[in-house]
Amino acid sequence: MGDHLETIKNAVIGGKHGEIKSMVQSAISAGLDPDTVINEALIPAMDVVGKDFASGKIFVPEMLVSAVTMKAGVDILKPLLAGGQSQSRGTVIMATVKGDLHDIGKNLVTMMLEGAGFKVIDLGVDLSVEKLIDQVKATRPDILGLSALLTTTMPEIQNVIRELKAQGLRDKVKVMVGGAPVDRRFAEKIGADGYGANAAEAVQLARRFVGDKA
Amino acid sequence: MELKPDFNRFLAAVRHKEADRVPLGEILVDYSIQGRFLGRTVTSDDLAGQVEFWAKAGYDYVPITVSMMSPGKVTEESRITRVLKEMVLREKPGTTDPKAWNLEFTSFIHERSDLDKFPWEAAADIDFSQLHAVKDLLPAGMKVIAVSGKIFTLTWMLMGFNNFALKLVLDEPLVAEVFERVASIQFKALEAIFSMDHVAGVWVVDDVAFGTGPMISPSAFKKHVFSWYKKVGDRCHDNNRIFLMHSDGDLSTLLDDLIAMGLDVIQPIDPSCMDIAKVKKQWGDRICLVGNVSNELLRSASTAEIAARVRELLRDVAPGGGFALGSGNSVPNWAKFENYMAMRETCLKEGSYPIRR
Repeated sequence: MGDHLETIKNAVIGGKHGEIKSMVQSAISAGLDPDTVINEALIPAMDVVGKDFASGKIFVPEMLVSAVTMKAGVDILKPLLAGGQSQSRGTVIMATVKGDLHDIGKNLVTMMLEGAGFKVIDLGVDLSVEKLIDQVKATRPDILGLSALLTTTMPEIQNVIRELKAQGLRDKVKVMVGGAPVDRRFAEKIGADGYGANAAEAVQLARRFVGDKA
Repeated sequence: MELKPDFNRFLAAVRHKEADRVPLGEILVDYSIQGRFLGRTVTSDDLAGQVEFWAKAGYDYVPITVSMMSPGKVTEESRITRVLKEMVLREKPGTTDPKAWNLEFTSFIHERSDLDKFPWEAAADIDFSQLHAVKDLLPAGMKVIAVSGKIFTLTWMLMGFNNFALKLVLDEPLVAEVFERVASIQFKALEAIFSMDHVAGVWVVDDVAFGTGPMISPSAFKKHVFSWYKKVGDRCHDNNRIFLMHSDGDLSTLLDDLIAMGLDVIQPIDPSCMDIAKVKKQWGDRICLVGNVSNELLRSASTAEIAARVRELLRDVAPGGGFALGSGNSVPNWAKFENYMAMRETCLKEGSYPIRR
């Protein structure tokens, strides 16, 4: 049993995209529970990938391939889970704020969060305060992830937090922020709940927000 | 104070020599800043205004963009946009969003089958008219640096970043072929650029790093990107031109490779993640540095704080040459005009060689 989990974990870490489906199917055929495969192989694999990325051992392409490898594994397991749904760690809305069309960083965080077991609603780029608030009201996420690449669009993050307060939503959602010009000091100043310097840090932060000690 | 452009001043810095003063260096100054400096409107078509600004503001060259699908210059009127629009409407009739055929918003090469569908001939249609026209406007001593040769960013823009990154691992030959097609177009442009005596160098604007480090692995950069840039560097040097590069992000793990590919100048040594004084100590005898008053300072600091930062740079980085002073990226429209003026004026007043420590 342990061999199957170790093989799957190593396949995700190594980005064995073409092999993961048959590995997961073998594990299920051998009697492993789908939840066990997710929680003891796929998610721990992405933890390793996140740490390797943060330490500069691997780079964006390798991390993305690991993320899609994991997703291919999850896709096999989803129909087998109770109710046909994987139990997500929490829901995250991701968006780049108004005036900013840059999305590389946001996309990386999105893929890493999905890899770590979160349900991610990626709203894209250039999101107005109004649209973001509407989405928070409609989907009630656990976390709102806001990104800005430009110094000029950074203030939009603060505007979103102000509006969350004005609408009585601030204590209902954790806000994490990131992007090239953003730093921890700025995050604290505008009243965000946390700052991620890179995708791996963002995932750690999100896990902390939902009470995950791993 | 009347300032006379002298490209030999900039060249001396590139050759790690001290000229009369530390040269000023920028890749881009927003037209609104140029206009405010001159007291009249300057536009992208106003070449005379641009040359007048760069000369009067104290620069020894004027940068002119002449490149395949230059971001910011891909307009509705561009030939590539017209051709892509026809292609998109043929495949998806009824599409109305102009972003669907704008290369800055939409990627076109996702699979191998897309490679030959892409209108490479139209993409290769580079407009050299400004580069030719500027010749007769240059004051004595002033040269042009052609902003051209971007390879990495154009390749991932054509493929979309996520798809590019995935394919780099899952279908490396496809990525290599897109790199080759983009590089071939850029190389052809170099031939035209080198035929113009008033062009003294090629400045590649290609972001290769995030604030946390390289966008792809250093080994992938060496194999797929720097191998091409080595050829750009060789061609520049064979034609007695200098080879300059702009990249945001933390280049610490790439600088040895960038120097090995023949780069003469690196700009801006991103102040959000690199310490230019440390870069000077470690690599400063092998490459000329241009920068790096942070854009955040240009936006929010006082003129006294700007002057203090310029003095630090003059003290720590200018001695021995190998340095030109400028912003930490480019001078955008949101920089405070008085801060831009304080940056250049402090350098012009206090940047005479030898630098007083």
